[in-house]
Amino acid sequence: MALNKEVYKEFEDVVGEENICNDPAIMPAYFSTEFAAVILPGNTAEVQAIVKLCNKHKMQFRPICTGWTGMFPPGIILLDLRRMNRIIEINEKNMYAVVEPYVISSQLQAELMKRGLNFCIKGAGTNCTAMLRGHGHMDQTTSGDDRNHLAIEWITPEGDIVRSGSLGSSDEWFCGDGPGPSLRSILTSAVPPGVTPGVFTKAAVKLYHWSGPSAYPVEGISPHYSLSEIPPNMMARYFSFPSVEKMWQAELKIGESEICFELMGFNISMVAANITTSNEEEEETFNRLNKEVQGPGFFVIVVGDTPADFEYKQRVLEKIVSENDGKSLKAVEDPRIEGILMCQCTRISASIRETFRNGGAFNSIPIMGQRDLTIKWAIGAGKAKEPLIEKGYIVDDGGAFFGWGVEQGHLGKTEIFCKFDPGNPEAKAAVEGWQKEQNRRAFTERYFASTMGPQDEIGPALLNYHLWWQKITEALDPNGVSPSGGSLV
Amino acid sequence: MIGKEKLVKIVGAGNVSYEQKTLDEYSKDISFVNAVRPVCVVKPKNASDVRKIVNLANKTQTPLVPVSSGPPHFRGDTVPGIGGAVIVDLSKMKKIINVDRARRVAMVEPGVTFGELIPAAEKEGIRLNMPLLPRKSKTVIGSILEREPVIMPKYQWDISDPLSCVEVIFGSGDEFRTGQAAGPGTVKEQWAVGGVQKAPYGPGVASWHRLIQGAQGTMGIVTWASMRCEILPSLEEPFVVGSSNLDTLLEMISWLIRLRMVNECFILNNTNLAAIFTKKWPRGYQNLKDSLPAWTLFYTVAGYEYLPEERISSHIKGITEITQRLGVEAVKAAGGVSANEILKAVQQPSGEPYWKLRYKGACEDIFFLTINDKLEGQIGVMNELAEKADYSASEMGVYIQPIVQGTGCHCEFNLFYDPGNPSELNRVRGLSNSAVKSLMAKDAFFSRPYGENANMILNRDAATVAVLDKLKKMFDPNSIMNPGKVCF
Ligand SMILES: Cc1cc2nc3c(=O)[nH]c(=O)nc-3n(C[C@H](O)[C@H](O)[C@H](O)COP(=O)(O)OP(=O)(O)OC[C@H]3O[C@@H](n4cnc5c(N)ncnc54)[C@H](O)[C@@H]3O)c2cc1C
Repeated sequence: MALNKEVYKEFEDVVGEENICNDPAIMPAYFSTEFAAVILPGNTAEVQAIVKLCNKHKMQFRPICTGWTGMFPPGIILLDLRRMNRIIEINEKNMYAVVEPYVISSQLQAELMKRGLNFCIKGAGTNCTAMLRGHGHMDQTTSGDDRNHLAIEWITPEGDIVRSGSLGSSDEWFCGDGPGPSLRSILTSAVPPGVTPGVFTKAAVKLYHWSGPSAYPVEGISPHYSLSEIPPNMMARYFSFPSVEKMWQAELKIGESEICFELMGFNISMVAANITTSNEEEEETFNRLNKEVQGPGFFVIVVGDTPADFEYKQRVLEKIVSENDGKSLKAVEDPRIEGILMCQCTRISASIRETFRNGGAFNSIPIMGQRDLTIKWAIGAGKAKEPLIEKGYIVDDGGAFFGWGVEQGHLGKTEIFCKFDPGNPEAKAAVEGWQKEQNRRAFTERYFASTMGPQDEIGPALLNYHLWWQKITEALDPNGVSPSGGSLV
Repeated sequence: MIGKEKLVKIVGAGNVSYEQKTLDEYSKDISFVNAVRPVCVVKPKNASDVRKIVNLANKTQTPLVPVSSGPPHFRGDTVPGIGGAVIVDLSKMKKIINVDRARRVAMVEPGVTFGELIPAAEKEGIRLNMPLLPRKSKTVIGSILEREPVIMPKYQWDISDPLSCVEVIFGSGDEFRTGQAAGPGTVKEQWAVGGVQKAPYGPGVASWHRLIQGAQGTMGIVTWASMRCEILPSLEEPFVVGSSNLDTLLEMISWLIRLRMVNECFILNNTNLAAIFTKKWPRGYQNLKDSLPAWTLFYTVAGYEYLPEERISSHIKGITEITQRLGVEAVKAAGGVSANEILKAVQQPSGEPYWKLRYKGACEDIFFLTINDKLEGQIGVMNELAEKADYSASEMGVYIQPIVQGTGCHCEFNLFYDPGNPSELNRVRGLSNSAVKSLMAKDAFFSRPYGENANMILNRDAATVAVLDKLKKMFDPNSIMNPGKVCF
């Protein structure tokens, strides 16, 4: 599967011998697949040259930014974009930043916070690329998914450079749409079952105002961090409610009144995961907090832009919570816990604890869109988890789901997962069965269709979108240099 | 060509017209595009009619020109680009399909105008993010599909907003629904389980609605669209800030939007404000204009269900800090126009006659997207060109609309002219062409290329056009959808 010497040399001529590798001892460090080579281009021109060579030799390639996800069939070339790691521009006045693929979110956010700005960070964590689309904790005020990109510089699968929107016409990054129909329709990158073929080499992302501190006053040593003080215009709380309906009504009103910087519908198991540093501590905390909460709930962060704004937002929050019989979780009122949650949920650094720590693996059903509808479905999916908990196949989280508000509740995300030990085949089979069954139920009962499922079943039920996408891919990639299939979380 | 009897069979004899007078009406508009007479006008009653018409057109290679708004048209996009075309006039598809307060969404057919949807939405406690004073005959779908700027940039998270989902018959004849509406299940089945057609992305990796927006009907015919709506405020306080210094107002407006403190907000020059608010023509116009500052920034502060007074007062406090820093003052009236009057006006479509026609009977709009830093230079260029073309720059209306939560702005020059005066008409026509060219050289981004200047605009970005061409071949393989528009 290795590249023959001449072809290898051609690629090496583009990036230099330091930046290409086909050593079978080194390449598996990336993913458990057999790559033909790993190449590290340093700029757009090099990416373009490599893509052209891939076309010439009919070699398949796939790029990674930070490489958290993705499907990598054997025999392909991996384009590792880590050398392209510059923040090209932070335009404070026009509220966008232009980044290269390997700028990670924590790096960009640290620069932005110094300037009173922020951006959407994927829930996976701040160590992921800032350039690709995604959704996360702050979506209530930073939006999510494909809605944050402005202009994009894209090397097509044939090796042409397309600069979308205002970039192509007037060399400005502020708009990604036009002239005419928008190429953002296809320039979206990583969502199963397909990713946009080709390589994004730079993108402008939308920025949002940040009234929090330019840096958090963190103290302590790993893993026991806390804030030396809570910023005077910020507050974090967890509220639980007597029923899902009351929780939803509160969430709705909070969105409509635009008072929360963040509305993260953590279940109590995730709160426990976030504020503890070991499995034992987490289990003890979960059992304790689980007794205190009255039912489902959410975590909020309020940020005041001015003292009057802060006061107003807090008062409205109090009213909404009390109208819906919400109860604040005492543990989170403790400034030590409040501070660390506030920090983790804006710097986005807790995902691994929530997902991997106490099982080793997790299988998930995430769905973006209409929050009340997906909550309705998730109640059933949670009930279906209970027998697995009883049998000891999955970590006991009370059968909970989670989710969050997007764009002040206009949209939302709901997700439910099972944490399990991947070394236990029975547990693995049970979780996979649950996932399949709940996806099927979502589909047959008309809630949504997870497009990560079997395409020949889901595609026709969604107006054959998969065939349209396939046609687009074939038209853009006549030499088939982009492997089919996309990223899988 | 499609035979008359076939069209009659689809839509009924009363909905097909070959009358010369009718055809003449569709063969030109207020823009400078060449007049081309269509073969006939057909008015489908529903999506099934539309599908049949598209299928027939494919069999007979007949160009179709979809039109949803009523006249007067301004952009040339509804005038056939080539001969032999059938106008598909969607004005009979007038259903307001759904208005949902809790999910903040509405769904309408293409013939529904702003004047029709606004009261229906208000009844439920929600409202639309409107373009500035659309003409009475303008349909909601027409406006949204054109990516017209909206006057509440705070609620425009994405340039595609407020569009949520559409049902479209592609040029290929295939039916498609975008976003959440795609499925599983029919729209009715989705409703039954509590689903609405709100989430715009997908299905899958693509954002299909973005391909249909901005296409000027070249990809397919939209048979309904859903759109996000906003909560009706329980209390509103409008303000104006006048200044001769545009830069100061731009600085101010960008902070108002960045801090999400205002709902409606935009800047108009004195010509446009007078063109909109003059009550007694022609006498009142000059008087009103003379009373106005060169530039007026308008904004509204609003409160919703909870503690509305407090919300408004906290925002006013915040805004006062900005005005004090910038040395301007927020007041309740600019010259002879009150902030309340502006607010009331911009929450509705334009009164009749359409405000752009009141002054001289016709108007040519030159509009583009840009960023604040470049705006003054671009306005400077436009003023110079106008003077050079013997068109008094002070007669030119200017409208500046921040877009997408402050990541850019829409700048629009309104060249009012007398269509009965050939020399004035020619001057404006020449000015329009030269302005587009010179403004492009100053980095103006013409994201919505219409009419005579479309080619010049698209020629600057051959790489984008190459990809668009590939997409077009897929969704409209026989090129029946509005040929001659955009780059197709
Ligand atoms: C524990 C966990 C939690 C997660 N939580 C979230 C979450 O909350 N929200 C969320 O949005 N996602 C989440 N994800 C999914 C995913 O990790 C993120 O979307 C991720 O940040 C994307 O960046 P990446 O480093 O994974 O991208 P990569 O792995 O580098 O790329 C992802 C895909 O995009 C393609 N691609 C990469 N670079 C380019 C490029 N330059 N041009 C074109 N295509 C390219 C790749 O080929 C690949 O298929 C989660 C994943 C895990 C494992």
